[in-house]
Amino acid sequence: MIHDYLILSIILFCLGILGVVSRRNVFTVFMSVELMLNAANLAFLTFSRLHENMDGHVLAMMVMAVAAAEAALALAVVILLHRHKSKLDTNVFSLLKG
Amino acid sequence: MFAEGLFIAFAVLSVLGAIGLILFRHPMNGAMSLVVTMISLAGLYALLSAKLIFVLQLIVYAGAIMSLVLFIIMFLNIQDSDLPEETGRFYYLLGGVIAIMPIAFFLIKIVKSLPDSETTIVGNGFGGVKEVGLVLFQDWLLPFEIVSILLLVALIGAVVLAGKRRVSQ
Repeated sequence: MIHDYLILSIILFCLGILGVVSRRNVFTVFMSVELMLNAANLAFLTFSRLHENMDGHVLAMMVMAVAAAEAALALAVVILLHRHKSKLDTNVFSLLKG
Repeated sequence: MFAEGLFIAFAVLSVLGAIGLILFRHPMNGAMSLVVTMISLAGLYALLSAKLIFVLQLIVYAGAIMSLVLFIIMFLNIQDSDLPEETGRFYYLLGGVIAIMPIAFFLIKIVKSLPDSETTIVGNGFGGVKEVGLVLFQDWLLPFEIVSILLLVALIGAVVLAGKRRVSQ
């Protein structure tokens, strides 16, 4: 059963990478990153269950805190960019291109 | 047997939610299908006897973070014309699948070489608030404090970025 959980985690992580690669909507890219964080959480908890050790649970809580911080900052940046360009396309947000 | 059936149901639901997230055009539909993924992942955490993380997943992830995202999506009032065209997204998707497939199979191969064990529910003494709290405040105290500083920095950064008012406009 442990294998099934880990394979599910790999599948979810790959789907998150596909979302980041193939989509151009800012919100979808952001939520795909959240999906990858969730897949990592599932792997942490599965290994924690495999070794009957609590450290994975603490790491999963840390990942949740980092995801909350990331959500707050990323959504602030999205609001700012939408106010400037009124677009949600990642190709428009190429302000750092030389 | 009952736990395996629950695992299959939650696994199928979470994969379907993830596929919906990367295929729906409007971000509102994508966010709703990501909520489905989050809730079924919470069920999987409960099957792994991680009781505290199960509750935190439901409250923090499916509750707080996703409602924040949904609030921002509704706040920006996205029309269909605001969305990017994304005409070539299926080609990108196909290319991504071809590029990721070998890595995924390699990882699955690695997973198969690990020792397998049953995931029967562990009762007391695993995954509850008391046990996780003991580990958190004994072995992980410094990372915990660093995370609190990170949250403070993110809070100040969000206020500075989004709360700016332009007088000239």
